[in-house]
Amino acid sequence: MVLQTILITLVAILGKCEFLLGTSLIQRPIIMGALTGLVMGDLQAGVIMGATLELAFVGAVSIGAYIPPDMLSGTILGVAFAIKAGMGAEAALTLGMPIATIMLALNTIIGSPVMLFFTHLADKHVAQGNEKMFSFDVIGGGLIAAMVTLPIIPLAFYLGSDAVTAVLGGLPEFIQTGMNIACGMIPALGFAMLAQMIMNKKVAPYFFIGYFMVAYLGEYGIGTTAVALLACLIAAIQMFKSDKPVAVEKPVDNDAEDGGILDEF
Amino acid sequence: MSSKNDGYNGIVTKKDLQRIFVRSIPTELSWNYERQMNMAYAWSLLPVLRKIYPDKEERTKVLQRHLEFYNTTPYIITLPLGITTAMEEQRAKDIDNFDETSITNVKVAMMGPLAGIGDSIFWGTLRIIATGIGTSLALTGNPLGPILYWLIYNVPGLIIRYQLTFLGYKLGSDVIVKANESGMMDKFTNAAAVVGLMVAGAMTAGNVFVTIPLSFGAEGMETSIQSIFDGIVPGILPLCVFGITWWMLKKKISPIAIMFILMAVGIAGAFFGVLA
Repeated sequence: MVLQTILITLVAILGKCEFLLGTSLIQRPIIMGALTGLVMGDLQAGVIMGATLELAFVGAVSIGAYIPPDMLSGTILGVAFAIKAGMGAEAALTLGMPIATIMLALNTIIGSPVMLFFTHLADKHVAQGNEKMFSFDVIGGGLIAAMVTLPIIPLAFYLGSDAVTAVLGGLPEFIQTGMNIACGMIPALGFAMLAQMIMNKKVAPYFFIGYFMVAYLGEYGIGTTAVALLACLIAAIQMFKSDKPVAVEKPVDNDAEDGGILDEF
Repeated sequence: MSSKNDGYNGIVTKKDLQRIFVRSIPTELSWNYERQMNMAYAWSLLPVLRKIYPDKEERTKVLQRHLEFYNTTPYIITLPLGITTAMEEQRAKDIDNFDETSITNVKVAMMGPLAGIGDSIFWGTLRIIATGIGTSLALTGNPLGPILYWLIYNVPGLIIRYQLTFLGYKLGSDVIVKANESGMMDKFTNAAAVVGLMVAGAMTAGNVFVTIPLSFGAEGMETSIQSIFDGIVPGILPLCVFGITWWMLKKKISPIAIMFILMAVGIAGAFFGVLA
């Protein structure tokens, strides 16, 4: 347990290095879930839970004013507790969601003021011509602000494991089935958030082309990779097409049935 | 006059630009609510500014100028950094006549269009392709999933970030404005949106599951409601869930609230046995 807690801390530190490593998405659930699984002695379960959480949080990226929930702590604790309780991906999501929401609040309350403190310190140091201390404010200050909430993760793991496992075991069956159903629906939210970011009337039909290709042909092996390849080709055709005014009114198979949804664009 | 024509005008060298690239990597580490990427912007330029402005007093003023608000997609911040470097270098040659505010103006003018195209290419397209391929492997328990996910995103990301430093420096300030006016940027953003949306559509169909386990009819010859839906259009129910969440987002309901609503619906559906 102590060793596991130490290893969990290391995984959390790696995740908190997200921004030091160039916003490299190392803190995303798909990666943190796999590493947590490795620590908990069940890599395969960790990989599957991480992918499930990744899909649930697919819309959680900081664009504009939206600050996403803290997936890092949600994933590590959710996956660790779920594996410990011998349960599946839906348990990881049930636990991870509230944890990520609470930790977002803590990061905002504790981490953000720390960063602002260094922002103002940086103004002062630059005005004084102290470029060495300015460099410390940028890198050191950033690391301190990122790590200040870190201890909560190993602490919650060490102190909470038994209690959480007991509560999970005592949940009535319909709640577990319900979470499983929710697990199937929540990715829709992520894709809707994503689509709203890039969707406009001109390109809206392409969403449905992708959707129906997999809905109809998925059983024949048409998956994401095939659609991605085809999409790149369509994009290339559009890019190199001459500059004549183009009508992007592509006929979409079967989209007649979906007028109700198209109307909302 | 220098005889070689490699795009460098004297003070700034390839090595300086490489340093800007390296320093741009932790851009979001010092992100703050007040001026966002301001600290990272000034810090990335620090070594090259030392070279361009050996006079410390002048350099301090320049650094303070770069500590103003900045925000864009982190992976493409090297483009404005490169352009700023070229402009500061120009200014240092003719410090009395160069309009200082033009540097800030160019920086700020690019912020919006660059963030628009950067967000849709990196967050909306490249990340979704990585997620699509990564999760389809990972959901079967294959550890290659997370590894591929990370590589598909970061290898092109780093190459683009590196190249943009040099592109920004060599092209200078007018190119982005021209590209924006000629509609090139729009075309590019649209092409990225096509890829992002098609993959998002494919992933919605492949990863959103909900079924209705009810059936009607006499015992022994029940017709399940799900089979009727499947007969009309396969995957119509997940598409409805997508449409409803889309609508809730449009109504400005927060994503976290929507997530809890979906959980409540799932639990209620399980309790009454109408969803599976």
